[in-house]
Amino acid sequence: MAYTQPHPRQSILSTSSHSSVEHLSPTASSTRFSLPAAPSIHTTLGSSRQTATRVVPNIYDRNLNKARSSEVSASAYAFLFSEIVQYTQKRVSGINDFERRLNTMGYRIGTRILELLIWRNESSSKTPKREIRLLPVLLMIQSQVWKAVFGKAADGLEKSSANVDEYMIIDNDPLLERHISVPRDISQLSCSSFTAGIVEAVLDGLNFPARVTAHNTANAQYPNKVTILIKLEKSVLEREELLK
Amino acid sequence: MSHHLFLLSPSDTPLYSLSHQSTKQGASASSPLGANLPTWTTSPFSGRMSALAGAPNTAMQSADLGGGAAGGQDRLNALRMVANASLDVLENVVFRDNGMYLKGVDKFNEWTVSAFVTAGNMKFILLHEGKNDDGIRGFFFEVWELYVKTMANPFHSAHTPIRSPVFDHRVRASAKRYL
Repeated sequence: MAYTQPHPRQSILSTSSHSSVEHLSPTASSTRFSLPAAPSIHTTLGSSRQTATRVVPNIYDRNLNKARSSEVSASAYAFLFSEIVQYTQKRVSGINDFERRLNTMGYRIGTRILELLIWRNESSSKTPKREIRLLPVLLMIQSQVWKAVFGKAADGLEKSSANVDEYMIIDNDPLLERHISVPRDISQLSCSSFTAGIVEAVLDGLNFPARVTAHNTANAQYPNKVTILIKLEKSVLEREELLK
Repeated sequence: MSHHLFLLSPSDTPLYSLSHQSTKQGASASSPLGANLPTWTTSPFSGRMSALAGAPNTAMQSADLGGGAAGGQDRLNALRMVANASLDVLENVVFRDNGMYLKGVDKFNEWTVSAFVTAGNMKFILLHEGKNDDGIRGFFFEVWELYVKTMANPFHSAHTPIRSPVFDHRVRASAKRYL
């Protein structure tokens, strides 16, 4: 059937643009006509040529501010994260390894968030600024980074009273862990290590190298409460002293 | 006038570099576009341009910088060295000045070094001869945006050489516009 069809069609075409159709093989034309509801042969020809040469949109053509206020579905977010956790769980030997891997994945996100966030904040200014002091950086993480990633600011930012180089960011109900129940045998695990990775990347990017870990600090009121512990490197504190 | 751009990662690995012959230069062998430009672009500066352009002069400069033979590669290596040498100066400035655009951080012979440091501590270093503050600022802003877009690509690993032809094309276009 496919081979008998082209001939009558060709005769219709020959009245207007015979030469352009002649080189088309019967198979090519039959695939062309599988396009739905073509009003006339000419438009079909046009659109098939268009799809063939259509340029795939690339990331450089997109406006970086376009998705600024758009939101991602929480269920999709939770599903993706559960897949990440399952994927990681299959490939690790212990809790430490598990948390380290989640941290590494978060780190990849963090480097991007930092650049994008600062670009969105600063690119409209004629003299864009970087943060070079510790406290504004921590506040930025607690409010802006959290808002960009989780849609709300973190619940607290505290300075450790025992160690001068330790700061804590507290989230009473982390979005990432809302749908995760950690089995009893690995109850030490905190999936917020992923968040810790994000924080670590932001601090690293801004020249505040630190070791960031996540700890479950559940209490009766907030069963999911997580503390992100930031342990800054010595060099950071020394520099802060100098800049004072 | 030529400009040389280097993108360096936080660990000072070169990720991308571009040498741009400014269209203001006029007749130059390496810039076919410059040859087609109207004469007004060169006439006011013609004396200076002829001093800066041309093969014998290039050879002399490269001998100045690298102390080696007059080869394009030698010259490029020398420029790379100038750019990297300015990193020490930049390192000191970065913790005191919280601006991203740091103009004229260093000087070497006829080269002025301007830098742009992003939030993630990526350094864009531009070697230029003349003074062109607004142009350079505009250029850095566009490279910044392009870099952020590169980072947004999930298939690009942070701090690895940028090989995207689109990135290259866009940076060249913006260099043409601003420098």
